[in-house]
Amino acid sequence: MLKVLIPTLMLIPTTWATKPKWLWPTTLAHSLIIAVLSLSWLVNMSETGWSNLSPYLATDALSTPLLVLTCWLLPLMILASQRHTATEPVNRQRMYITLLTSLQVFLILAFGATEVIMFYVMFEATLIPNMIIITRWGNQTERLNAGVYFLFYTLAGSLPLLVALLLLQGSVGTLSILTLPYADPLQLVSCGDKLWWAGCLLAFLVKMPLYGVHLWLPKAHVEAPVAGSMILAAVLLKLGGYGMMRIVVVLDPLTKELSYPFIVFALWGVIMTGSICLRQTDLKSLIAYSSVSHMGLVVGGILTQTPWGFTGALILMIAHGLTSSALFCLANTNYERTHSRTMLLARGLQMALPLMTTWWFIASLANLALPPLPNLMGELMIITSLFNWSWWTLLLTGVGTLITASYSLYMFLMTQRGPIPAHVLALDPSHTREHLLMALHLLPLLLLVLKPELIWGWTS
Amino acid sequence: MHGCPRCCEAAMWTWRRLQVKVRAAGGLLTCRQRPTWSGGRLPSCQSLSTCTPLRNDFFKDLETQLAAMRKKASDALPGSSWSPLEINPDLPPERADIVIVGGGVIGWSIAYWLKQKERVRGGVKVIVVEKDLTYSQASTVLSAGGIRQQFSLPENIYLSLASADFMRNINEHLGVLNEDPVDLQFNQSGYLFLASEEVAHIMEENYSAQRSAGAKVSLLSPTQLKQKFPWINTDGVALASYGLENEGWFDPWTLLNAFRRKAISMGVIQCCGEVTDFKYTTKHTTSTDGDQMELRRITSVKVQMPNSLEYQPVECAIVVNAAGAFSAKLTEMLGIGSGPRDSIAGIPLPVEPRKRYVYVVHCPDGPGLDTPFMIDYSGVYFRREGLGGNYIAGTSPEEAEEPDTSNLEVDHQFFEEKIWPSLASRVPAFEKLKVTSAWAGFYDYNTFDQNGIIGMHPLINNMYFATGFSGHGLQHSPAVGRSVAELILDGNFTTLNLSGLSFQRILAQEPKLEKNIV
Repeated sequence: MLKVLIPTLMLIPTTWATKPKWLWPTTLAHSLIIAVLSLSWLVNMSETGWSNLSPYLATDALSTPLLVLTCWLLPLMILASQRHTATEPVNRQRMYITLLTSLQVFLILAFGATEVIMFYVMFEATLIPNMIIITRWGNQTERLNAGVYFLFYTLAGSLPLLVALLLLQGSVGTLSILTLPYADPLQLVSCGDKLWWAGCLLAFLVKMPLYGVHLWLPKAHVEAPVAGSMILAAVLLKLGGYGMMRIVVVLDPLTKELSYPFIVFALWGVIMTGSICLRQTDLKSLIAYSSVSHMGLVVGGILTQTPWGFTGALILMIAHGLTSSALFCLANTNYERTHSRTMLLARGLQMALPLMTTWWFIASLANLALPPLPNLMGELMIITSLFNWSWWTLLLTGVGTLITASYSLYMFLMTQRGPIPAHVLALDPSHTREHLLMALHLLPLLLLVLKPELIWGWTS
Repeated sequence: MHGCPRCCEAAMWTWRRLQVKVRAAGGLLTCRQRPTWSGGRLPSCQSLSTCTPLRNDFFKDLETQLAAMRKKASDALPGSSWSPLEINPDLPPERADIVIVGGGVIGWSIAYWLKQKERVRGGVKVIVVEKDLTYSQASTVLSAGGIRQQFSLPENIYLSLASADFMRNINEHLGVLNEDPVDLQFNQSGYLFLASEEVAHIMEENYSAQRSAGAKVSLLSPTQLKQKFPWINTDGVALASYGLENEGWFDPWTLLNAFRRKAISMGVIQCCGEVTDFKYTTKHTTSTDGDQMELRRITSVKVQMPNSLEYQPVECAIVVNAAGAFSAKLTEMLGIGSGPRDSIAGIPLPVEPRKRYVYVVHCPDGPGLDTPFMIDYSGVYFRREGLGGNYIAGTSPEEAEEPDTSNLEVDHQFFEEKIWPSLASRVPAFEKLKVTSAWAGFYDYNTFDQNGIIGMHPLINNMYFATGFSGHGLQHSPAVGRSVAELILDGNFTTLNLSGLSFQRILAQEPKLEKNIV
């Protein structure tokens, strides 16, 4: 554990001490080394149970994929941010990288936490660097509004969680994730217990987000700079999913009845946000809503509390993390060239940038869950476990899959195909850095086709 | 028997009460009747109000009432409207998709058509930047307001035909819900061109071009001319060309405001400010001929607030240059025109302001109400203005005698020396007239070939031009707006092919001149 944490912490003095000319290559190399080191966590995956154990930090089959994703994302964020921060003074660039690194540290501590309170504290701590990134480096005046929505939605959801956790500590005596699954089942009968149940889950549902409390996500994603969007879409949403998966073991047997409305909300959200995607004019907004749509499926999968549901949820979280982050990077390449996120103004790009079309194609296909990519595996497992829970969900998930396919294709066709407007003809050609960025996103996704056991979670 | 009239009157009384309540709720400015409650019944069953409501628009009044209520509530609440962020509400937004520089009729037409053609609501964010909202020097409102199809270039004929069709159905296009309809005062009295012997053949060629393009024009011999318009002196006239349909004049201010109102109702943001600078990136490439080219891409537009040091850089994807007579200043900011002489960057935008005078004369015995917009072969023109015997007259000065363009002062000698003699000889009734008023306006004069420039500049990757119309921009504005919107949103012209009016002709030095008879 420390072999990843210490280098990540030391990345902060590195950014402040490097010469300006070598800032970005150094931090990129450093974070890539950390990412490669983090792959060593995947080694003990065949055993269920905890590895890399210490009193405060541990990894198990559920948290390892998310930890690796987190560590993998830092070099990608650094690669993506190089261009738009190039015009700023060096110290501001250093600050930016420091914020990304601190996010990384908090996330490693969150996913590796052995105690729920530590997870909670890290969960909240990730809000601060994110807020700073969105409100300081975002592009438009609306970023202030976006920051407010982001902060207060998450805080309002997580305050009940703190109370609930303290109550849990009081009744069970421990909040260690290692022993919570083996604690005596709680007597949950009164109305207050039902509120406690809701309090445990609300923060994570807001973070996922569940449709109904999802309003912060399109705003935050659209207004954030590219690295902010990437980390939000790829990892921070999964914090909510991971938290839910950890906490749901103590919430039996209430979950059987009480999860009903949330599953329905989640599935309805899949369809509604999918339909909104079909009408979007702003590219980043489209990708943000598609995130809500996929996460709705994940929420449904987790709340069914079956092994297939959990596995499907974890696979979809990892695959969606890589895909969504890739799409945001692609949207950013568009934005850096045309200075507009409107899809109407940047069309027919296949004529101008054909190699980027390849990446758009692969990312769009991944988004619509094309076999044999892990997106499909995750979706199918979730749909199956939901079908097992109730036959009627098949209607909703089926229609949802259809709409997902149509808006992914719509996004691809709108940006790449069609007549090319005159002002798009003379764009900058694609940089090698952008190709590297896209390759580093999509290569793991393609490799996971070959060994999906890595991200199956507990059922490996 | 006793109860019937009483209950009838009681019913009338309640009905009166309800009516007064309805009127009071509607907030209309009517004379309220106050029935006498105390003791009695109404003496008669007639309505006592002496005035009737002029209009009964529930929604407009509702809106004003709601606004008044909101204001009252916010005044009553404690606290001030101070906020730590100093937000100047007049500043344009920090970013927009399309910035249209120039709020004349061309600029607003483009804004309207961009919003019309976006496929979803809020598809593109458009702002129109105009430096002078009083339009004191804008060519649009100082124009004589004529529209004709009698051009020789097919592109111009098609533009006028499409624009005339637009203006005939203007309320279908520019009508806004709950607002007054648009009344352009489109007098379709036609244009009358007079040709002398030497230029009659040009008129005949133009006539066949116009007919084949679909314009309804007819040729008249001098005798037919005299028959139709007896007030004309046909000495020296060999042929006349008279537009039968879709030609005439209209009110340019109304058209501008109609476009503006509709565009704003569709979500276009208007900003009062002047564009003083561009931030752009340059890319050095070599063309296929081996020339070094610097391709510029505008990243943001600096909009300066009027009478202030405040400015706002607006980050944008596309800039449309619809600045009319002042368009060349914008391209100078980008370095066009200051490159080496035989390169593309050395060719400046050939648009400059040229001052033209318009004189209003009063002649009680002048030609009647069916007077067309008459243009003589000497260049002098006049048209009827209103119904009180007023006429508008003017002419283009010689190249050598172009007036000074630093101001809009009128030279009255010009009328005495250049216009009146020709006018009086052509229309004898104008020997006795009085000049009641005059004004001057700028043409956005294209010094290259006096026709509009529509399209992109080869060196600026995201600036579209719609300028240089040299006196016929107003009449082409609806169709030009549609074509530019097609260029931006569809990538190509779809309804009218105006590629002949692109920048290519300026670079290749192939002028597309109008074969005028004047």
